[in-house]
Amino acid sequence: MIMATEERVLVKPPSEVAKQRPGEIEDASWLPVKVKVRNLNFHYGGHQALFDNSIDIPASRVTAIIGPSGCGKSTHIRVYNRIFEIYRSHKAKGTVEIDGENVLSPATDILKLRKKVGMIFQRPTPFPMSIFNNVAYGVKLHYRASRGEIADRVEDALKRGALWDEVKDKLGEPATALSGGQQQRLCIARAIAVEPELILMDEPCSAIDPVATSKIEDLIETLRDNYTVVLVTHNMQQAARVSDFTAFFYKGRIVEFGATKKIFTNPDSGQTEDYITGRFG
Amino acid sequence: MRPRSRTERRAADTAMRVAMVPAALIGIAVLAWILWEVIARGIGALTPAFFTELPTPPGMEGGGLGNAILGTLLMTFLAALLGTPIGLLAGVFLCEFGPSSRIATVVRFTTNLLMGTPSIIIGIFVYSVLVLPFGRFSGWAGAVALAILILPVVMRTTEDMLNLVPDELRESGLALGAPRWRVTLGIIFRAARTGLVTGVLLAVARVSGETAPLLFTALNSFYWPGSLSQPTANMTVTIFNYAMSPYSDWQAKAWGASLLITVSVLAVTVLARFVIRDKRKRA
Repeated sequence: MIMATEERVLVKPPSEVAKQRPGEIEDASWLPVKVKVRNLNFHYGGHQALFDNSIDIPASRVTAIIGPSGCGKSTHIRVYNRIFEIYRSHKAKGTVEIDGENVLSPATDILKLRKKVGMIFQRPTPFPMSIFNNVAYGVKLHYRASRGEIADRVEDALKRGALWDEVKDKLGEPATALSGGQQQRLCIARAIAVEPELILMDEPCSAIDPVATSKIEDLIETLRDNYTVVLVTHNMQQAARVSDFTAFFYKGRIVEFGATKKIFTNPDSGQTEDYITGRFG
Repeated sequence: MRPRSRTERRAADTAMRVAMVPAALIGIAVLAWILWEVIARGIGALTPAFFTELPTPPGMEGGGLGNAILGTLLMTFLAALLGTPIGLLAGVFLCEFGPSSRIATVVRFTTNLLMGTPSIIIGIFVYSVLVLPFGRFSGWAGAVALAILILPVVMRTTEDMLNLVPDELRESGLALGAPRWRVTLGIIFRAARTGLVTGVLLAVARVSGETAPLLFTALNSFYWPGSLSQPTANMTVTIFNYAMSPYSDWQAKAWGASLLITVSVLAVTVLARFVIRDKRKRA
């Protein structure tokens, strides 16, 4: 288990480290840290949902967050882009540093933060507009661009979202006409189009069928090359398949965090083992 | 314990049917009766002249209610123009910006009160604010009175319709880095579009049949509504006056105007329903 409270020393520059397949990584200590969370506490009104969360999310890798319902998985990642703030009674305390900057500081430019930190939700959320405009929406928000530049960016994002071939002939059609799985890939393309560095996925496959799920898992696999991905999932097989690192949450606390291989084969904590083996949760 | 008998269940079922079906039929029957009366008595009055000519003095045949039709259209349109934006903005505030704030609670409560306020009181209020100080009845005052009636309806439907938009849609707009106002205008309004249009249509349909607020504000006139700062002809007050008059020609015209208003309100309501159905089909 990685001791989350200690500062890490970068032993090898990341360029020297060839990309490994998920499951092959056993040690995170030489990876640069993208998100450094320290003593994060979260309250929904009078109810405390997170207790002293501390974790280092490695850059350019997929980190899965697993745990039983209501354990604070989603709550935790919803702090990273400060989306929780739109609800008045939701309060976060502690520090969440992305690339060394504390996002919870009042000085944070929230629009810039959210450009840098994309988010995918449980249910696909296509905007009520055309496929093209869905992807162009974020681009137009953050860039002054000509029509041609926007069209190029949209095409590129849809290709990275593994959706281009299916929609290239009907970009003008309403996005709501797509299937659930396509809608979710559209949302991923829409997030990619604004060039985020970190992509948060909040159970992105829980509302779609197995075939669409495997397409999204393949897509997450390709995203590893360019983005840091944090994936909240109920599905332990999914965590084992696509993630490099796994954090196990229980009752608002991070019980264990480490290489996915280790968590799934030889966890340190008895609670983690009980959850992984299906004894509770 | 013994199982409930089939006869017992059947009896209960029949009893409920006997109670409910007539109740539903009474509701429909009243509407059908009104429609029948209005059509039977009013259809004869709806000549081309009815729509284009000015009213004639009692006893003189012919003429029409062109001025009243135009006046009602003008004032309803103005009222919608005045009441809709305020209602929409207030509804947006209630749903998007301060749903649980103290001011929202107060606004919501007063909106409910305003919706329940008898329209004659709105009429008297506008009379004391816009008629007495200027010393004359006017179309402007009429439009303002109708706008006050439109306002709470639009406000409530806007809030309700925006509430139907799932929070995840808001969150994904914001998560892309869009400011709140852009999410509201570009995404939430678009998602709730048909509901918002329906709300406005229903509000307009409701006020187009109001008489009391106009009686104290626009009053009525025998002339074309040349300026809205004068008393302005309108259908509902005309119906009121003509129906109470002893002249059979005027009474016939009152029936004609009643038919016209009823059909217009019905048409707008049906249109609103179509908009809703269209939305369901796409969803």
